[in-house]
Amino acid sequence: MREFVMAPEQDVVISSRVRLSRNYEDLPFSPKLTAEYAEEVIERTADVVFNTEHGAAFTLLRMGELEEDARTRLVEHHLISYDLLKFVNRAAAMVSSAGTITVMLNEEDHVRVQGLLPGLQLERSAEMALKLDEALESRYPFAFDAQWGFLTASPANTGTGMRSSVILHLPAITAAGQTGVIMQTVAKLGLAIRGLYGEGSEARGNLYQLSNQATLGRSEEDVIRAMSAATRQIVEHERSMREAAEKKDMLQLQDSLMRSWGELICARLMTGREFMRRYSDIRYAASMGYLHAPLPGLDMMMMDLQPGSLGVRAGKLISPRESEILRAKLLREELPGLVSD
Amino acid sequence: MMCEDCGIRPAKFHLMTIINGDRVEQNLCPVCMSRHQKQIPGLDFSNLAGILNNLLESNRDEAEERAEIEPDNAVCEQCGMTYAEFQKGGMLGCARCYQAFHTPLNALLQRVHGNTQHAGKVPGGVHSGVSIRMNIDRLRQKLEKAVEDEEYEQAARYRDAIRALTAQLERRESEIRVRPHDRLEDGEEENDHA
Repeated sequence: MREFVMAPEQDVVISSRVRLSRNYEDLPFSPKLTAEYAEEVIERTADVVFNTEHGAAFTLLRMGELEEDARTRLVEHHLISYDLLKFVNRAAAMVSSAGTITVMLNEEDHVRVQGLLPGLQLERSAEMALKLDEALESRYPFAFDAQWGFLTASPANTGTGMRSSVILHLPAITAAGQTGVIMQTVAKLGLAIRGLYGEGSEARGNLYQLSNQATLGRSEEDVIRAMSAATRQIVEHERSMREAAEKKDMLQLQDSLMRSWGELICARLMTGREFMRRYSDIRYAASMGYLHAPLPGLDMMMMDLQPGSLGVRAGKLISPRESEILRAKLLREELPGLVSD
Repeated sequence: MMCEDCGIRPAKFHLMTIINGDRVEQNLCPVCMSRHQKQIPGLDFSNLAGILNNLLESNRDEAEERAEIEPDNAVCEQCGMTYAEFQKGGMLGCARCYQAFHTPLNALLQRVHGNTQHAGKVPGGVHSGVSIRMNIDRLRQKLEKAVEDEEYEQAARYRDAIRALTAQLERRESEIRVRPHDRLEDGEEENDHA
């Protein structure tokens, strides 16, 4: 069995991400960015990043040179944003070998530096992103104004240019129908929570993303502190809801969650939608100790079984039916190995 | 509530129009309201004219703002982006656009973030222009204080320091490599929005 290290609050928090939006002050922004200037953005950034202390760990990926599945896989693993693929011909990403630092190039802004870590580790994610940001700005100045801070293509990011977010697994809060209350509460703190996958009010896999809204008028530390505090409160609430569900009828809870384990290791066809529901159940079960599976391993598997990642695994474009077959096959082969007795 | 037309000024009017039985309701600021008044043929505001005028008069800020902005026609000389173009696409064309559209952007930033003063990280390194500007700001405050206290000798010293720093800042800004405007135009039409 592979060794997995548990990150802080990982029973509820899947990952923490901090993203900084920056633009080179002397180059035109996204709407006026020509292919020539886009190339200049890539060259400048690559020049600096490759020459940092851990520069050798980065790979430069030009979106135009990747297969569609490979690009989707990067989105599914949260290494790049879905929006980066709107600009396939000019966009690139520099990804560190551990996947903890990514630099997106020529998305809405010239440069978006991202720090991504498992569990609740916003401070460290921010530190990582800010460190690389400093290396970049010391070489080529970013557009900055004393009153308005960092100038971004969209005024929605002006100021710190910082968007911090955590991905939360909230099966018990969702089951109790309390997501509306949570949404209202975080809105008062200048934060927003929404379903990570799926549209509208649907949150596939009971996964939610909490992020800060405003970027102007509050310091980075201030926002990170507010985000961490709100996350901790939601974590506590989710835990108490899980305990309450167990207290109410443990056998009933175990039965409903563990049935999903049976489905996952026996199914011959597994749709993406059903998989997310079952994954949520077994993750919930594992956090309660009903199933001895490492949470980081389950989360990694969840991302690996998304459509684009499956295509990469298959080595070719596959039909929805083929991906249902492959998903079920990989679950049967690999899921039992994750579990210890 | 912000005006549903321009999105940058607070709404003061509720306009309801019924055309062939279809009812359209809008919340508008005084500036956009007066535009609607001119545009909609046959719309009779004679009864409301007095009220409207009173409201416009009573809010001089709004009237001043209106004279100052006229945002649709504003153009960024650096990249050629117009304010109307920005309103449509939601993205600015270059760093200079922020100055070109200063007034409407200030209102927009206030609306989006509830604030217009950056409180976060300030770049160091080669971006010394920022620290120069902050020094100037600090000296200006000292200058005002000195004038208030009638310490004119001290004030003169601050004034000279501000002049020197401003000259330094201007020199620095003219040195920043800015690509010529005509080169921005070349082949920019599609921008690879694939």
